[in-house]
Amino acid sequence: MASTSLERELKRGSAEVLILALLERRQRHGYEIGRLIDERSDGAITFHVASLYPTLYRLEDKGFIEGRWVERSGQRRRRYYRLTAAGRKVLASQRNVWGQFFAALNRVARIRHA
Amino acid sequence: MRDWKSRVAAAFAARRVVPDADVVEELAQHAATAFEAARADGATDPDAADRVDRLIAMWCDDPAVALKRPKRRSAVTPPSDDRRAWSGTGQDAVYALRLLRRQPGFAFVVILTMALGIGATTTLFSVTYGVLMKPLPWPEPDRLVRITETRQGKEPRVRGTMSNGPYHTWTADHSTVEGVGGWINVASAALAIGNGEPTPVQILNVTPSLFTVLKARPLIGRLFVDDDADKLGTTPRRVVILSYGLWQERFGGQPDAISRVVQLDGKASIVVGVMPKEFAFPDRDTRAWTAWTPAPVRLPNGAMAMTIFSAMARLRPGITAQQATAEGTARARSAPDPGMTAVALFGGNGPAEIRAVPAVDQMTADVRPALLVLLAAVVLLLVTATANVASLQLARAAVRRRELAIRAAIGAGAGQLTRQLIVENALLGIAGGAAGIALAVAMHRALPTLLPSDFPRVDAIGVDWRVLLFAAGIALTASVVCGLAPSWHARRIDLVEALAEDGSAPVGHGVRVRTARTRALIMAGQIAVSCVLLVGAALLVRSFVALLRADRGYDPVNVLTARVSLPQDYSMERRITFLERVAERLRAVPGVRIAAYGNALPLLTSGGFRGFKMRPPANPSIEVDVNVMQRVVSPDYLAALGLRLSEGRAFTPQDTMTSPNVILVNRSFATKYLGARPIGASIPSLGMCRGDRDRWEVAGVVDDMRQGSVADPLQPEIFLPAQQVGCANAVSQAIVLVRTAGDPLPLAATLRSLVREQEPALAVDQMMTMEDRVMRALAKPRLYAVVLAGFAIFAVAIAGVGLFGVLSYSVAQRSREIGVRTALGARPSDIVRLVLRQVVIVAGGGIVIGLAAAFVASRSMSTVLYGVAPQDPLSFLAVPVLLIAVSVIAAIVPARRAARVDPLQVLR
Repeated sequence: MASTSLERELKRGSAEVLILALLERRQRHGYEIGRLIDERSDGAITFHVASLYPTLYRLEDKGFIEGRWVERSGQRRRRYYRLTAAGRKVLASQRNVWGQFFAALNRVARIRHA
Repeated sequence: MRDWKSRVAAAFAARRVVPDADVVEELAQHAATAFEAARADGATDPDAADRVDRLIAMWCDDPAVALKRPKRRSAVTPPSDDRRAWSGTGQDAVYALRLLRRQPGFAFVVILTMALGIGATTTLFSVTYGVLMKPLPWPEPDRLVRITETRQGKEPRVRGTMSNGPYHTWTADHSTVEGVGGWINVASAALAIGNGEPTPVQILNVTPSLFTVLKARPLIGRLFVDDDADKLGTTPRRVVILSYGLWQERFGGQPDAISRVVQLDGKASIVVGVMPKEFAFPDRDTRAWTAWTPAPVRLPNGAMAMTIFSAMARLRPGITAQQATAEGTARARSAPDPGMTAVALFGGNGPAEIRAVPAVDQMTADVRPALLVLLAAVVLLLVTATANVASLQLARAAVRRRELAIRAAIGAGAGQLTRQLIVENALLGIAGGAAGIALAVAMHRALPTLLPSDFPRVDAIGVDWRVLLFAAGIALTASVVCGLAPSWHARRIDLVEALAEDGSAPVGHGVRVRTARTRALIMAGQIAVSCVLLVGAALLVRSFVALLRADRGYDPVNVLTARVSLPQDYSMERRITFLERVAERLRAVPGVRIAAYGNALPLLTSGGFRGFKMRPPANPSIEVDVNVMQRVVSPDYLAALGLRLSEGRAFTPQDTMTSPNVILVNRSFATKYLGARPIGASIPSLGMCRGDRDRWEVAGVVDDMRQGSVADPLQPEIFLPAQQVGCANAVSQAIVLVRTAGDPLPLAATLRSLVREQEPALAVDQMMTMEDRVMRALAKPRLYAVVLAGFAIFAVAIAGVGLFGVLSYSVAQRSREIGVRTALGARPSDIVRLVLRQVVIVAGGGIVIGLAAAFVASRSMSTVLYGVAPQDPLSFLAVPVLLIAVSVIAAIVPARRAARVDPLQVLR
C-alpha cells in the first residue's frame, strides 16, 4: 500500500517536471503534451492523461508556463503552452533537485534509480 | 461530427460545475482529437466515443479542472509604469485586509499582543510623565521650589519640612525668591453651617503668602491677606477659603457664600473666597484652607517655640535653586536658637541648612525610583511583545514565500514587496495601537482607585495629546519593526528556491533555516527579557512579603482606630474626662476586649517630639541632648495596640496626678540613654505642666515599634500616662483604639455614635482598622510588585507561546529529516531528545543572558527593596527553574508530534 502511494507522489512531482521538460524547446498544445508523455514514458511511468489539464492549469497558475490561443489557417484554434522564464529556472533547479534527491536516496538507502 | 464541446459542458453541468469557456473548449478539442486518434487506431465509432466519454468523466472528477482559469494576464502584462513610492498603497491595504480576514487567528494574536504591550506601555508612560515630568499646574511652575531644612545634616522628624526660625528671617528679607509660603496639615475639622450636622472636612493651614507664591487666583471672593493670620502661630480659624467642590456641595455654588459664617470645630469662621475648580493644593482631599502663620521662635511670654511645616518658594526669574539654597541657609543663621526643641525635632541643634529643590522633584522623590524601574520593565515588555509579533510575521512570511515569489515573478520589485508587508504591518499596528489606546484609556479610568491614596500627583495623570502621540508613536515603531524582519527576508527571496519549495523536493532549506535561526534568536531574547522581568518581580514580591511579615512591634489584627480632633480651648481635664467616658462606654460593647486612647498611632501620628537634656545613669558626669517621640497614652494603650513590654510594668489606672510620675521607654531609648539597667532611672523635666513635680521614673521598657515604614530607622520613644500629664496641648488630637474579639469594622458606627453622644460638636475621622492601615502603608510596594509580576507573567506567556510556535515550526520543517532518522532506526526518545536539545540551546542561552542582565539591572532596584538583597540567591535560582519548566511545557507538544512523525507519510 505504502509503496504505491509513494509511487503516486513521486509521479505527481515528476509529471510537472516532464511537462516543463516537454515545453523546454518549443510550445505545444495539450493533446500533444499528453500524447508525448504517453509515448515517451512508455509504460514505465503511466501518466494519466486525465490529470494533464489540471497539472497544466496548476503550472500556469504558478506562472511556470503560459498558455495562449493560436489560430492557424486550415486548423481550428488551439491553446499552446510555452515555458516562461520562471518555469525555465524551476525546470533547471528541479532537474538538479531530482538529481540530488536520487543521489541522497542512494547514499542513505543504497538504492539505485528507479 | 460530434459536438464534443456540449458533451464536455453537459458532463460538467451534471456535476454542478461550470468551468471557464476556454477550459471547456480546450477539453473539447482534446476529446475530438482523442476520438479521431482512437478511430485511426481501428476502434469502432461507439468504442472510440465510449473511450472519450470515460476521459471526460475523469476530467470532471478532478476538482482542479473546475477551478477558474487564472484571469489575470499578469504573465504578459508588463508591471505598472507607475513606480511612485506610495502609488497603489490603497490596493495594498485592500489586499492586506483580505489576507488578514483569511487569517483571523493570526490577526487576533498579533493585535492582542500589541494591544497589551502598547496599552501597558502607554499607561505607564502616562503615569510617569504625569507624575514626574508634567509641569505643576501653577503659572511658571519651573520657578517653584520646595524648601527643606536640615540641621547638621539631620532631617526633621517630618521629612521635607522647614522650621519657623529660618522661615521668618527669610520672609522678612529675601532677594533670590519672590516669596516663601508655608502650610501645615491639620487634623480634619468639623464643619457645620448654621445648625447643620458637623461633618469632618480636610483642612489645610496655609500662610497668606502661599497663594501668592503659587500665583493662584480665587474664583470668587478674595485670597488671604497678612492680617488674616494670627501672628502667634495659633489657628483661630477666623477666615476660610473653600474649594470649588465644597462650595458646590455645601452652598450649592451660590455666590452669597462669601461672608457667610461657618463653624469650624465649633468656632465661627468667615468664608472669604472660593478657589476655582482646577485648584487643588496640596491634593484633592483638601477641601478648605485657613490662614495661619508659623509662631515666632520667641513667644511674647519668653518661651521658645519651634514648628516644622512644609514650605514652597518662587524663585525670581533667572535665579537657580542653588542660589536660593545659599540665601536661605545664610538667612537661617540669623534666626534665634530654638534650643532643645530643635533637638526634639531634628535630633540635633546645629545651625540650620536650607535647601531649595525643584518642587516636582521633591513631591515625587519617593515614587521616582519605582516608577523608573517599572517604566524600564514595560519597555522590555513592549520589546518582547514586538519581537513576538515579528517572530509570528517571520513564520508567516516563510509560509508566504511562494506568494511573494510569484508577486516578484510577475514584476513586483523588492520595494513593492516591502511596501506590501509594511502596509500589512501598519494595518496590524493601527488595530493593535487602537486597541492598546482603548486599553490605556480604560486603565486610566481605573487608576485613581488602583493607585494608593498617598500616590503623588494622581490628578496630573491623564490621557492627553502627548500620551496619544506616544501611543501612536510606539504602535507605529513596533509595527514597522515587526514588518522589517520579514520584508528583509522577502528582499532576499530566491525565486527558484521559493517556487521549487512548493514541490516535494527538500530544497530551499537554507532559507528556512535562516528564518528559523532568526526566530530562535528572537526567542532567546524573549526568554532573556522574561528572565529579567521575573527576577525583578520576584525581588519586589519577596520585598513586599518581607514588609508584610516584618515585626512592627505591635499587633494590627482586630484593632479599630479613629482620630478625634480636640478643640484648643479644651482643658486637659476635659479631654481626659471625655476620652475616659468614650473608652468606658466602648468597653461595655459586646465583642470589645480593650478600649484605649492616646495621642499617637503608628502610620498616622507620632504624638509629639521632645528634646531635653539628661545625665545618663551610666555616666552622670556628662549631660546629653535627648530627642524622643513622646506618646501620651491611657493605661490600656499598650495592650490595645499589642505592644510588648520587655521589662518592668505597664501603666495602671492608679498612675494618677497624686501618685509618683512614671514613664515607659522603648528599647531604643533604653539602649541609647539608660544602659543596662533602665528600670528606676530618673528622667528630668519633660515639660508636662507639672510645675516642680516634673520628674519621671522609668517603670518599664517596651519593645521597639515602627511608627512609619518598617524601613525607617528606629527612634527613641517615651510613653507618658495621660492621667499624669498636665498640658492640654500634649493631646491635641486623640486616637481611640478598640481591640476586639472578631472583625472590628462593624464597631465603627458604635464608636462614632459614642463620641457624638459625649461631645456632639466633635468629628471622628481616620476610622480604619489597624490592618487596613498597614495594608495602605504597603499599597505602593504592593502595587509595584503586582505590576511588575503582571509584566513578568505576560512576558513569560509570550515567551512560552513563542517557544511553542518556534518549536512546532521547526518540527514541521524538519519532519523530513526526522522521518529519515526514524526510518533509519531512531527511537521516539531520540527524536524527543532532538527537540529538547533545541529548547536547551534557545532557552538556556536566553536564561544565561537574562540572568546576567538581571544581575546588573537589579542593582538599580536596591532603593525600592526591603529585606531582600538585589542579588537575592533564591530569586536568581527560582527564575531559571521556572523558565526551564515553562520551556519544557512549551516543548512537550512539538516534541511528541516529532516523535510521532511517520516516515512513510513525510518521505513519500
